[in-house]
Amino acid sequence: MKIPDEMLNILYGNYFGYVCTSDRNDQPHITPVFFIYEEPLQKIFFITNDRSKKVKNLIENPNVSMTVDIRDTKNPFNNEGVMVQGTAEITERGPIYFLSEETLQLYRDIYLEFKGKYQAVIENRPLGENDVIVQIKIKKMVYWKGPHFKSVKLG
Amino acid sequence: MKWIYEIIVVSIPPFSLLPYRYSILLQLLLLLVIGLILGFIFDLKTVSLLYGSIGILVAVSWSLLILQLGPTLRKFRAPLSMNENELLERYRGILFHRKHYEALPGLAIFITFMVYLFNFGSNLIEYWLGKDPSIVLLLFVSLLIWDICYRMGLGVWTSILALWRSINLKKLAEKRIELEHTPYTELRYLRKLDINNVFFGIISLLLLPIIQQDNYLVSIILAYFLFISLTSVTSAYLVSKVPWLPPDIYNLVRDSSFAYVGNSLKGVTHVTPVVYIFDGQSIFFNTSKEAKKMKIMKKNKKVAFLIDKRDTSNIYENKALLVTGEVKIYGLTDIPFRFIQMLAARTLFLTKYPDYTRKYATSELPKAWQLTPIISRILVEIKPVKIIYWRGAKQITVPV
Repeated sequence: MKIPDEMLNILYGNYFGYVCTSDRNDQPHITPVFFIYEEPLQKIFFITNDRSKKVKNLIENPNVSMTVDIRDTKNPFNNEGVMVQGTAEITERGPIYFLSEETLQLYRDIYLEFKGKYQAVIENRPLGENDVIVQIKIKKMVYWKGPHFKSVKLG
Repeated sequence: MKWIYEIIVVSIPPFSLLPYRYSILLQLLLLLVIGLILGFIFDLKTVSLLYGSIGILVAVSWSLLILQLGPTLRKFRAPLSMNENELLERYRGILFHRKHYEALPGLAIFITFMVYLFNFGSNLIEYWLGKDPSIVLLLFVSLLIWDICYRMGLGVWTSILALWRSINLKKLAEKRIELEHTPYTELRYLRKLDINNVFFGIISLLLLPIIQQDNYLVSIILAYFLFISLTSVTSAYLVSKVPWLPPDIYNLVRDSSFAYVGNSLKGVTHVTPVVYIFDGQSIFFNTSKEAKKMKIMKKNKKVAFLIDKRDTSNIYENKALLVTGEVKIYGLTDIPFRFIQMLAARTLFLTKYPDYTRKYATSELPKAWQLTPIISRILVEIKPVKIIYWRGAKQITVPV
């Protein structure tokens, strides 16, 4: 499936994503995260603390959405963004020495990419003991610019 | 920390055996029965019995209102500001003073009234009880007068103190720094107590028929009604102007342009950017009737609402506020009662986003973007249940 360039530009060109999870009572929760998008896998990755509310929510309910957008205070027709909906997977939680080689490799790759993308902001902070990588398997993406919408369904 | 009256209610059986509300109703019944029996024994006129019953009704309604004060203020959580906390402690300290100052205004009213009634009174006693009433009747009526005067005094006492408290709370709130504030729930309690006091004032008008033949007393009751109502309305108004958000967050909410709204339906979440306004008390956003989130919110009113300040050069300067709670969706039926609030919200939108409004107004737009209020643009208010605030990497839960 070819992802439209407008969507790719947004997902590759921005730092912040706003992740929305909800608990078993359908109470939503939003947090800003740093993320990376991997087009070949159609996945989004972000690193978070395993004790955070979003991780608790994701264990109860793996459905997740994330919005990445560009905002213009002067002209609403320049507002542009992507909302991704999908399901989250938290790869093996627990002490790092019990992780499988595959997961460790993933951690290394993602973390290196994070460091590449967010060098300016995260400096040399290593992956902490309670950090987990959350992967979002993308099911649907909605793109908007001003009043115009476009959406893509995956998988 | 209890008033004399409360102490009696909670320590003397059978009143102590019943919940507050019922024990007050039991007193009403008891007084009524005694009054009626006395009325029959001494062969009083029907109108006398009626006046007596009105008096009892007034005393009991006042008790119901005033007795909410104690329990409410006792469960009051401490404000997260030292000055405001001190003020409220002082307020409570005086209100429920160990030396029972609360009884003084009532006592003063009672003594003045009794002296007036027996020395200069315009035949009120004769009007109520006929010529040369029995001492038993006089005693019963005096008891009733005491009941009324005591509560009248409590009304003066509570409304003056409430006004004093509100004026000072408002002043202190202007000097807050960083995260100091008095939580939303607590401010709402204070306002509710003030509104109760307004009703307290209105109830005093029921006394008018009893003393109608004495113009002097009629004007005193009217003055009393005006005094209690005005002080309480002013106090409630001042409390409603005290921000429930600490200045740090208040400024973030006031100065940011965009927010994100998160919804969830059957576990599937949805998150989109919105424009919003803040009137100092409530947060409103606008959305289209056609929007997906509108359809979700109609089925599930629970939302998450995030406002943030991004600073990519220094993450320690990042600030974010997450409000979780429910939405109130404004529709046609809200116009009669909420018209002013809806109009004010619209004006705030026009002032905050003038360019948006101009752009929207001059273009050919799809239905979802049209601006006609209520018909295509829906006003939504956030009713907070929980507030979380991030400053840099620090997470702070702000009591609501």
